Amino acid sequence: MSQTRTTATARPHLVAVLVACSVVGVLIGLTIVATEPVPGLPEPGAVVRVGLPVVRVLLDMSAVITVGLCLLPLVIGFDRPKLAEPVLAVARRVAMVAALVWATAALVALVLQTAELKPGQNVSAAAVLEYVDTVGAGKALLFVAIFALISFALSLWSVRVGELVPAELRAAVAMFALLPLPVTGHATNWRWHDFTMISMELHVLSAAAWTGGLGAVVVLLSANRTLLALALPRFSRLATICLLVVTATGVFNGAVELLVNPTHSLWTALFTTSYGVLLVLKTACLIGLAALGATIRWRLMPAIAAHQRTALLGWATMELGIMGLAFGFAVILSRAPVS
Amino acid sequence: MRTLGRAVGALVVALFAVVGLAGPALAHNQLVSSNPADKASLETGPGTIELTFDQPVQAGENLNTLVVVGPAGKDQWQAGKAAVRGNVVSAPLRPLGPAGEYRVGYRILSADGHPVTGEIKFTLTKAGNGTPAPAEEVAQDTGTPAASTPDDGGVPVWVWIGGAVLLLGAGIVLAMRLGGSTP
Repeated sequence: MSQTRTTATARPHLVAVLVACSVVGVLIGLTIVATEPVPGLPEPGAVVRVGLPVVRVLLDMSAVITVGLCLLPLVIGFDRPKLAEPVLAVARRVAMVAALVWATAALVALVLQTAELKPGQNVSAAAVLEYVDTVGAGKALLFVAIFALISFALSLWSVRVGELVPAELRAAVAMFALLPLPVTGHATNWRWHDFTMISMELHVLSAAAWTGGLGAVVVLLSANRTLLALALPRFSRLATICLLVVTATGVFNGAVELLVNPTHSLWTALFTTSYGVLLVLKTACLIGLAALGATIRWRLMPAIAAHQRTALLGWATMELGIMGLAFGFAVILSRAPVS
Repeated sequence: MRTLGRAVGALVVALFAVVGLAGPALAHNQLVSSNPADKASLETGPGTIELTFDQPVQAGENLNTLVVVGPAGKDQWQAGKAAVRGNVVSAPLRPLGPAGEYRVGYRILSADGHPVTGEIKFTLTKAGNGTPAPAEEVAQDTGTPAASTPDDGGVPVWVWIGGAVLLLGAGIVLAMRLGGSTP
């Protein structure tokens, strides 16, 4: 009982760092892509212009948290069920709440995107339905909301019956709910369509598994050296794969988007367009993450594997903060034209 | 039992994957050319404005807006709503008035669902004798509230957001109850 309490309240401020940094990333991105209003055209209100990207990043964050918590049982493994159970009980409960936030954020984003389309007007339920009917992004958000609710139902079930609900199933459903949005995202293009789409899906999946996994491991396990020694080496392998996939797919998608735009050459597009600048910022985030990840992997992990006290929290907090920023930039990037 | 559960789970996930991944992904539209061209100088105003994008534009009621703002800054000169034909968005233009810079602003809906906004400019070198569009016509062309359907039962966005937050709170409380006492 008391042990659960301590792990539950152990490091929630790390999640706050992640989410706060993601919102900061969105605001920085918004100032980068800010443009003069075109005279004569009705502008969406500030609630929509700022609210939509913020809601989108909260959607991403709750998705990442859900995915990370659903992956946690797989990262811890099934060798020490007695020791892991109190931690996993907390994880299931938080995953349930995160999935509910995820579904709500998807529905709010749907309303805001409807409002964005018809500036200055109130939004009726009929308008939202019409948006879902005519625009692919609307259908995608609806799918996300439905899958997030399925994920919520699975988590609720697992809160009641424990790890009887297969962890693989929960992780698979949560990861699957990530897929619809990139399909309708703009970072794909006619000629390269199939490749960029697959590449973007892989990008999103590995970014979510990486960030969510790190968050779950550090927030829930850092107080428990035995479990940490068990889980961190496994997570480290996963993180290495994620880092490689995120890098490869990110470079590919960014390059395609810059290359196929009809008006700029690659280098001018990279440094003069807001899309390019955001891409450079995300690359900087990635380099920072690789450096921090390497520090944790080679400097801290041997000590952690030996059950010693380390400065993991500080490094991991920094890493989560940078990840949050990258997610914030990503939300703006996925909506920014190359101009 | 557990293996069975996993197998069923995998099957369900695969099924959803097939359903969910169907459907095309499309990109942000970009303006590739226009008639009149950007920064062109003309002696007489064209009859229509044509904007050509690199990909098809999503057609639909009030989804795409094209406005032409005259030298005075408030006067608008389009003669009707924007029409979509494949990659091309066009709108008829009234006979133009004073010489000077005219700004063509557009907001179109990309096939991927993101609105794209931008503008081109052209200069009229010889004054014509046209008059700007009257206000009620402008409101109709741009779909602003004044001219839109009087009241379709819509509520402001913040009401939706507030409602969603309340619903979320209630959902969390209910889920916690259903989940049983704290472990």
